[in-house]
Amino acid sequence: MAMEKILKKENLGDWTAKLDAFDVYMPSFGDEGWAYALMGDRSGANLDFSRTIHSPKNIVFPQREVMFSFQQKKGEPPQLTETIPNPNPFVVFGVRPCDAKGLTLTDLVFSKEFNDPYYWARRNKGIFVGLVCNEPPSAACFCLSVNGSPHGEEGMDAQMTDLGDRYYVKALTGKGQEIVRLGGGLFKDKAASDQKALEQTHAASEKQKQRSINGLKGVEDKLRSMFEAASFWDDRSKACIQCGICTFLCPTCHCFDMNDEVTCVTPLKGERVRTWDTCQFPEFTMHSSGHNPRPDNASRLRQRVCHKFQYFFENHGEHQCTGCGRCVSECPVGIDILATVNGANDHDA
Amino acid sequence: MVNLEKLQARVKELLDKGAVDHVIGYRRGSATFMAAPAFITRPEDAGDLVWDPTCVHNLSLYLTAEKKIKAAKKETAAKPIGVICKGCDSRSVVVLLQENYIKRESVHIIGVSCEGGGVLDENKLNKFLKGKTPLGAKYDGDDAYLVATKDGEQKIPAKEIMADRCLECKYPYPVLNDDVFGEKAESKRLDPYHSLEAMEAATTGDKWSFWKKHLDKCLRCYACRSVCPMCYCDECVVDSIAFMVTPSTSPDQKANRIKWIERSNQTSENFGYHLVRAIHLAGRCIDCAECERVCPVNIPVRLLNKKLEKEAFLLFDYEAGVDQKQPSLVSSFRDEDPNDHIL
Repeated sequence: MAMEKILKKENLGDWTAKLDAFDVYMPSFGDEGWAYALMGDRSGANLDFSRTIHSPKNIVFPQREVMFSFQQKKGEPPQLTETIPNPNPFVVFGVRPCDAKGLTLTDLVFSKEFNDPYYWARRNKGIFVGLVCNEPPSAACFCLSVNGSPHGEEGMDAQMTDLGDRYYVKALTGKGQEIVRLGGGLFKDKAASDQKALEQTHAASEKQKQRSINGLKGVEDKLRSMFEAASFWDDRSKACIQCGICTFLCPTCHCFDMNDEVTCVTPLKGERVRTWDTCQFPEFTMHSSGHNPRPDNASRLRQRVCHKFQYFFENHGEHQCTGCGRCVSECPVGIDILATVNGANDHDA
Repeated sequence: MVNLEKLQARVKELLDKGAVDHVIGYRRGSATFMAAPAFITRPEDAGDLVWDPTCVHNLSLYLTAEKKIKAAKKETAAKPIGVICKGCDSRSVVVLLQENYIKRESVHIIGVSCEGGGVLDENKLNKFLKGKTPLGAKYDGDDAYLVATKDGEQKIPAKEIMADRCLECKYPYPVLNDDVFGEKAESKRLDPYHSLEAMEAATTGDKWSFWKKHLDKCLRCYACRSVCPMCYCDECVVDSIAFMVTPSTSPDQKANRIKWIERSNQTSENFGYHLVRAIHLAGRCIDCAECERVCPVNIPVRLLNKKLEKEAFLLFDYEAGVDQKQPSLVSSFRDEDPNDHIL
């Protein structure tokens, strides 16, 4: 049974202050626009923000992760030192439903065949408090088209809904209940009127104008049949400049590269480091022979779209896109995953 | 005024006659009101072309992309490529000609004059509209843009939402063209190096903290490099695998390739990347400012390149991309060149 309480907006800062055993992340407005930032002084807590440039994926899967460090003295065997992270427990406020759902999809990747200790060391320390999108945070939003919802709860430990002067707070997991309990007297019991306002707000959130996909069901089969539709992928990808924006900002992209970074040659010292990588870089699939199986924009766009809408579905039974719209609004040249999927659905060949 | 219908008709004519292989221009984007690059191959699609202040992209980038595609397929271009160029964009075509990267006969420049209207800065506009979604924009010819939102059309002074590079533009009219649309117009709203004033006045410590703050955000998505028409190297210093790897590259050569810059998004590596790029653009950058526009985390990349553009101008009286016959700065020497910086 979910724990459902009311928090006055003016008490948000007091609540976050009571979470002093936790690091607290909240969207903050800086040079790059809205981004999750570690809060120092918590009195100014405020959840009035549009879409953040990154999703909270960055907190559990940072762009750079040290896998282990190594050193070797001449004539001796190399020594490896474990570097599994051990972060403070943390709470992230203002997680949008699309991004929270994204976390559940990334969880699948880092747990199915191999339980990734680095990912889970961070993920297990985190509490994710969602915020319902009363209005779409961006003109590029399309969560409703990909089995999401502006008031979705997937991936959240607690969900907050802005009801004007107060938040309706639903604790959805044990962790969510723990932080609501820590708020103590700041939370009031809900009244029937709060419940009604919640239902109205959620219903209204679904009626807001969003972009849409012309049919998600069966899109994986359609895409499977289009692997060799060369002119389709070529037309859609012509303008691509081969940067990493769409994938680096995506709440579910998770590909990485590993390199040994040597910091000292004698004695040998360094770190093995994992950093984000992207299927949109031409070198991503470059073989050591010099052969590149994805040599052009068309094969790289096909990979991105088919991974989201076909391969991930085949592997995990869900589509991998959560409709945040970042890859669309941030693409420097107007490549539009929605128009591409719609085009695929309409493609007859 | 640029007459869009005449522009479309000319593109159609070029394609009909078979004078060009295809034309790179602008179309309406599918997701937002901003234009997107268009590749027109069929005469009947010329009507898709648009021209307005959302045509921000420097399309000359695709001339270098096309050359690489052709080279990979071991093909040679039979016909020139038509490309729509604003004043700034035409200068980058000229740099490509100066550097002999492309041949004059391989490109048909369809110039368009900005006529003082320049292009929009989407970030500035979004800030100005405070969350309202823009639906369309045009220049009213009188130092203002008319921006449509769901609440109707709104008149916004140009200086509020115009791209910085346009506010400082010296060449709003294509410097080289095969066709040209629109009237010549002056566009000197601000001094060409106005954006640099604050940075040049700052102390070394302040400069360091400014750039550290900005470059620490860098995602190394390389959008700034990838969108740059001058960044056409086959092999880039930041790529961890060389494109130059061929079947005959030995394992030793691969293993011993120096990694100048690690992939880690750390201060030292990010500075390495951005400063190498800036230096490589000295005397080549024509300030289309695409690098700064595309940055997803708003790093003011343009300032680095603008500073080096100014250095090239003050030291060597050199401006990139104004004369295709002029040797490029870094590959030429004149007796009167200052040399007091050489030890």
